Amino acid sequence: MAKEREPVIQVKNLYKIYRVGENKVRALNGVNLKIYRGEFCSIVGTSGSGKSTMLNMLAGLEKPTKGEIIVGGEHLEKMNENQLVRFRREHVGFIFQSFNLLGTMNAKENVALPLTFRGVPKKVRLEKADQMLELVGLPKHKTHRPNEMSGGQQQRVGVARALVVDPEIIFADEPTGNLDSNTSAEVMELMKRIVREQNQTLVMVTHDNHLASFADRIFHIIDGKIVKIEDNRKNGEVKEQ
Amino acid sequence: MSVVDLLKMSLSSLWRRKLRTILTILGVVIGTASIVVMISLGLGLNRSMMEQIEEYGGITTINVYGNDGEYYGGYGVAVSVDSDSEQQEPVRIDDAAIETFSQMEHVELASPVLSIYVAAKQGVWENTFNIQGMSQEALHKMNLEVGEGTLPPEGEELQLFYGNTLIRDFYNAKTGQNPYWESPDPENPQFADVDLMNDPMFIIFDMDSYWGGGTDENGNPLPAPKKYIVPACGVMAGEPDDWSEYSYTALCDVEALKAQLRKVFKGKRIPGQPTNKAGKPYKEIYYDRAYIRVDDINHMEEVQESIRAMGYQAESNAEWMEQTQEQSRSIQAALGGIGAVSLFVAAIGIANTMMMSIYERTKEIGVIKVLGCDMSAIRNMFLAEAGFIGLIGGAVGLGLSYGISSIINFVAKETYYAGISYIPLYLSAVAMIFAVIIGMLAGLFPALRAMRLSPLAAIRNE
Repeated sequence: MAKEREPVIQVKNLYKIYRVGENKVRALNGVNLKIYRGEFCSIVGTSGSGKSTMLNMLAGLEKPTKGEIIVGGEHLEKMNENQLVRFRREHVGFIFQSFNLLGTMNAKENVALPLTFRGVPKKVRLEKADQMLELVGLPKHKTHRPNEMSGGQQQRVGVARALVVDPEIIFADEPTGNLDSNTSAEVMELMKRIVREQNQTLVMVTHDNHLASFADRIFHIIDGKIVKIEDNRKNGEVKEQ
Repeated sequence: MSVVDLLKMSLSSLWRRKLRTILTILGVVIGTASIVVMISLGLGLNRSMMEQIEEYGGITTINVYGNDGEYYGGYGVAVSVDSDSEQQEPVRIDDAAIETFSQMEHVELASPVLSIYVAAKQGVWENTFNIQGMSQEALHKMNLEVGEGTLPPEGEELQLFYGNTLIRDFYNAKTGQNPYWESPDPENPQFADVDLMNDPMFIIFDMDSYWGGGTDENGNPLPAPKKYIVPACGVMAGEPDDWSEYSYTALCDVEALKAQLRKVFKGKRIPGQPTNKAGKPYKEIYYDRAYIRVDDINHMEEVQESIRAMGYQAESNAEWMEQTQEQSRSIQAALGGIGAVSLFVAAIGIANTMMMSIYERTKEIGVIKVLGCDMSAIRNMFLAEAGFIGLIGGAVGLGLSYGISSIINFVAKETYYAGISYIPLYLSAVAMIFAVIIGMLAGLFPALRAMRLSPLAAIRNE
């Protein structure tokens, strides 16, 4: 069933090699994966396993040493920085670990920010931001500054900001890393719900196996290689690679 | 990203760090003010020099001389004419020449100038000076200020219009003393007891017999020079110390002067008039020079050249003015250079502030880059910030300049009547634009740096 669908993300034989002094560190060592539309995937691994590098590559923040990354039919590895910026603006939403809201703006303005970069008129983008904040359950905090909100609320604003551009893929980098366990669960449930409702594709990176299990599919990454793919939808099916 | 959003973001990030922004702006304020004030001093100096030239006969005035003999240049310096002019047909200034000049394009006014050196007596007081005859038109258009009486009227009768500094030079013929120049108290000089307007003035036109001491070259006694009572029609406005071009002469109508000279010399050679090969004077009285006024300073050279092409000598203050302008340009450059140093320091201040700001906002820049803000938009945002610093600093600095300028003018108003510091409108405009450009230039390197920052900075967690 999965194979009939067109993959949103396709990674072929991806390598990333860092030079640290005299040594070469293989952060990614030949990765292949496919992620389909409407999926909630998580990439899980210990620190240094290459999972963050993986995410950076997929979001077009870093260039691979070798290999292909095809997102929405476009080859990221061939783009220059200007093209990557445009690609992110038009196709990608991003949720950060440390929320990264702009301190000078209130919640609504923060959510509207990516639309500003698209040149959307002020009235339209604030309306859209309004809707998104209601969607993430923050109807009463629209004019609050980030420093007037709790961590969980800030991350909800972060989620709204990622969703507002109606992206093809949302990337989340340890989205609950700065939250306590109760709030983490709330945010995870929120993300899961919205991905379902909006039929979005979400790729999340985490080191926490429990959080990773919220996802439909879980990619386990060790030393720059995907060692295991779990599929939660068909319980227990484990594909060794 | 729309321009309005971009400018708003720039302003809000400036606003976020008020104190630092204000300090940086202060640098630009001081830089702009110093450069504007310095240049305004140069311009004011230039302007007062130009006014001085105006006093010396104006910048659109040409004096035209014939090509024979010597003539007196613009500043009273004798200039001898090229020697080969003797082979040429002498070109002299007569009524026909004046008519030709006045028909020329761009010539506003052409007047004959005929002058004669005379002695004047009133009681014991004596003086020698030039009587200068000019046309009625010239007399009325030379912006002469009348202190008493009227300008010389038209007509056959010679009437004199005395310059205001003439009174200083009357001396006591008995004691040989001049009450003004030999005054015991130079602060409070005294003047000869001469009433130019009301008491009769005796004028001696025949200076040869006046100087000759009553004998000719063979020692034979000569008749005493004839004295003529010449009425005064007016006196020029101004204190005896206010020097101007005609303040030390007596002006009159040229036709009246000609009539008077014919009467006085009766067939003899009038002093200063040319003679023919036989040494006899001509029937006609030739003029010393022609006074020509040109409508615009830009046509000076053109008119001067075409007059020269006719064989005349043409002199003006144009060369002097050019020299003066060159001089004031170099003064302005020197003063402007001093001001530029402080603006340069301000520019370094802007660059420093922008660099600091970029280091602080590395993460923020990374975030907006991840969210899809164009590289060029990031660059423009920082350029706009630096430009705003320049703009605000320039505007405040300009206001400050006007303040300083008026203070300088207030302090120096004794010496420089018109003001030594002068800020024309174009200087204000140029200063503003310059400040913005300096700001943006200073911000260019930081802005490019911000543009090239890695978006990965947003991902890093400290």
